[in-house]
Amino acid sequence: MFKKTLAMAAVALVSACGKPATEAPVPGAAEAAISAAATEGQVLNIYSARHYDSDRALYAKFEADTGIKVNVRESGAPELLETMKAEGEASPADVIIVADAGALYRFQSEGFTQAVRSDALEAAIPAQLREKDGHWFGLARRARVIVYDPQLLPAEEVDTYADLAEDRLKGELCVRSSTNIYNLSLLGEFIDRNGSEAAEAWARGVASNFARPPEGGDTAQIEAVAAGQCAAALVNHYYWMRLATGTTEERLTAAKTAVSFPDQKDAGTHINITGAAVSSTSGSPELAVQFIEFLATREGQAMLTSETKEYPIVAGAAYPEGLEMLPGFRQSDFPLADLGPNQAEAQAIFDRAGWN
Amino acid sequence: MELKAPLAFAPALRQLPVLLAGFVIALPVAIVVAAGIAEGGGAAWTHIRDTLLLRYLTGTLAVLTLTGALCLLMAVPAAWLVTMFRFPGRGLFEWLLVLPLAAPGYVLAYAWSDLAGVGGPLQSALREATGWSARDYWFPDISSLPGLCFVLACTLYPYVYLTARAAFISQSVCTMEAARSLGAGPGRTFWSVALPAARPAIAAGLALALMEAAADYGAAEFLGVPTLTFGIVRAWKSFGEPAAGARLALVLLALILTFVIVERQVRGRAGTQQSSIRWRRIARAELPRPAAIGAASLCAGLFTLAFALPVGRLVWRSLEAGTHSTRIWEALGNSILLASAGAALAFVLALIIALSIRKKGPIATFARIAASSGYAIPGAVLALGALAVITALPAGLSGFTAVAALAWVYAVRFTAAGTEPMVAALARAPASIGQAAQSLGATPFRRTFCVDLPVAMSGAAAAALVLFVEALKELPATLMLRPFNWDTLAVRAYAYASDERLASAALPSLLITMAGLLPVILLSRQISRARPGAAP
Repeated sequence: MFKKTLAMAAVALVSACGKPATEAPVPGAAEAAISAAATEGQVLNIYSARHYDSDRALYAKFEADTGIKVNVRESGAPELLETMKAEGEASPADVIIVADAGALYRFQSEGFTQAVRSDALEAAIPAQLREKDGHWFGLARRARVIVYDPQLLPAEEVDTYADLAEDRLKGELCVRSSTNIYNLSLLGEFIDRNGSEAAEAWARGVASNFARPPEGGDTAQIEAVAAGQCAAALVNHYYWMRLATGTTEERLTAAKTAVSFPDQKDAGTHINITGAAVSSTSGSPELAVQFIEFLATREGQAMLTSETKEYPIVAGAAYPEGLEMLPGFRQSDFPLADLGPNQAEAQAIFDRAGWN
Repeated sequence: MELKAPLAFAPALRQLPVLLAGFVIALPVAIVVAAGIAEGGGAAWTHIRDTLLLRYLTGTLAVLTLTGALCLLMAVPAAWLVTMFRFPGRGLFEWLLVLPLAAPGYVLAYAWSDLAGVGGPLQSALREATGWSARDYWFPDISSLPGLCFVLACTLYPYVYLTARAAFISQSVCTMEAARSLGAGPGRTFWSVALPAARPAIAAGLALALMEAAADYGAAEFLGVPTLTFGIVRAWKSFGEPAAGARLALVLLALILTFVIVERQVRGRAGTQQSSIRWRRIARAELPRPAAIGAASLCAGLFTLAFALPVGRLVWRSLEAGTHSTRIWEALGNSILLASAGAALAFVLALIIALSIRKKGPIATFARIAASSGYAIPGAVLALGALAVITALPAGLSGFTAVAALAWVYAVRFTAAGTEPMVAALARAPASIGQAAQSLGATPFRRTFCVDLPVAMSGAAAAALVLFVEALKELPATLMLRPFNWDTLAVRAYAYASDERLASAALPSLLITMAGLLPVILLSRQISRARPGAAP
């Protein structure tokens, strides 16, 4: 009943939202740089799981450049996915923007992304960071790093992910819940790289080192390290970055801790992406591609990462302010499209390992 | 005047508005119930039933029990003290203690988890003062079930405080003086006379607070406490099974229904009516010095925990973070517009229902139960029900319809919050007024308009303000139904908080609280004047 009625709602929504009467030009014309005159008055509907003021500036810039009206629906990634499921074929979404390749995989496996070709995107974005058929494209990178208390631990004791499972860190570790996609994706890479058994042994080792049961987000783990409740925490780099560039109080918190990019001598630090996909329900995929291409320009990259403190993906794009505080690092070359299929197994392993 | 014969159909006609009101409120609820029963619930339901249902159910029961107990402990003594005694700061506390009503549960959850976290100011100060490290002491954890109950009680106790205070104020002083002249001390007067007489009002306030607690989503989610409402939204969000969510909603509804029935039983048995219409200004007793200090510190402590400390933290955070975001001000406008629309609709519905309740017909009972169950259903579920109805209409969910739909959901959710104060106002009025009207030959119609309406209106202004504040704070339905490019303050606060950006969440949270403050203060003042015979 819900699905049917919601689908009806979506039909109504679309008709009311007023898709452009004139259907867009030829498919594949994206790289031919559609002029502002040709796209004037058209509408692009974006479903975004991001909530940044800088994104607004980004949309405004795109609107000014192209004359395309941008509509945005912001919500969490799971809510957006469920909204699209309810809306079905009639979903007005043209572009989906969410964080984490694992989340993009969920949209793809439910059939809500479509394969698109764009020479510009394929040239700008390394193959590792996009889906091979063009179902989604990575646009900004985040690294899963170890934040630690340099007074309690020497840097060399936390320079690999494997260190976190060592007995010497018993009672010293703070990590968020395993249901979080960042942890699922990290373990997903280990499953692929080292096999399920090694991944499970690692998860058990980490879980036996917890200073407290997992609670709160990544920021809460960093605060716990700064307060001395634990000696090390596993977090995404930008949470530390935001504290380090934040208010006085936040900067003091960050200053008590140090950041380690694990596995520099080995596979490289686990990274993930914020990415965009063209919705399978989009009536104007070429506009959607045009928008994603804009995100992959140097200008788009700078706007996309300025507030989030993620790393840009496109060569030559300016780094957001503050990121120079972190060292350069070697990133894992793991193809992110391979993460998604390991999610279910990763969750099962976490559950068995007692990592709540 | 004698129009009885031509108006033979009038009794049925008079029931029409309340029937309509009940229908408008019951529709989304009925759809959810139907979906819960008719649809299988999907594969997710089996999983939820076998592994999560018990946890959700015990979670909700524990939250209701503990929150209820905390609300009573916080509200009733404070209400009694500020009404009956003189002590330093009494006049100030009388209205200060209502202020926490302005801050929604999720806002207090953000502020308190920031305050009481291991890196927060409270624990930092403790470590600095004692030289301990974070591993040397135990500190209460806000991200826990008791933490959630504390946070919910902080924002919900004013419901009980307001109704209890109104009841204490309205009690005929003669009754109390009679008790005193028969040798009862202040303690005995409280336990044997004032409290039993105030019990229906306290029960009504507590019922409101607990329904609100049962429907809370934002705070439970943020603090990670599994409750039925959390489960309902999760069934939709993570399992992709709204039907399983509807099943869980059935469980929650059954719980609430039991609750409403028990509350009505309690009230029925307690049915005290004021027979005396002699009102005098309450002669507040001067408290001896130690007791006065105790009373003042109790009130001050309560106000600090529930309001001053968390809101102060939000102010500090907002100032520290600064703002250069225009979208917050847009969101403020949207919030006020939406809340006004929702409050207006809910107000009309509440008035219709309140006026019909004295007739005790099955239709009035139906409407009141519909309103109560609407209040207990999480906004997310109502939003799904409302969507189903709107799609049957030709207009569809575009900008205006989406706003109208949200106003509708707000009305369904919050009409009970308006009905209860009006009903309480009617119940407080001496029964003899109505009886006098009847004995003077007033038709039921005339009695409704010339006697009951003015009486209900004394509670209605209060009700309208409560409705506005409630709608302003609503989160899950707003998240789901708002049109493109449309944010409210609640949505912004939630989005920032779930991104772990508490500094950014502080300003919208603070604005929600501020916008809610003015009506709450007016409400508080209005009630202290509402007592018959009080100085104007």
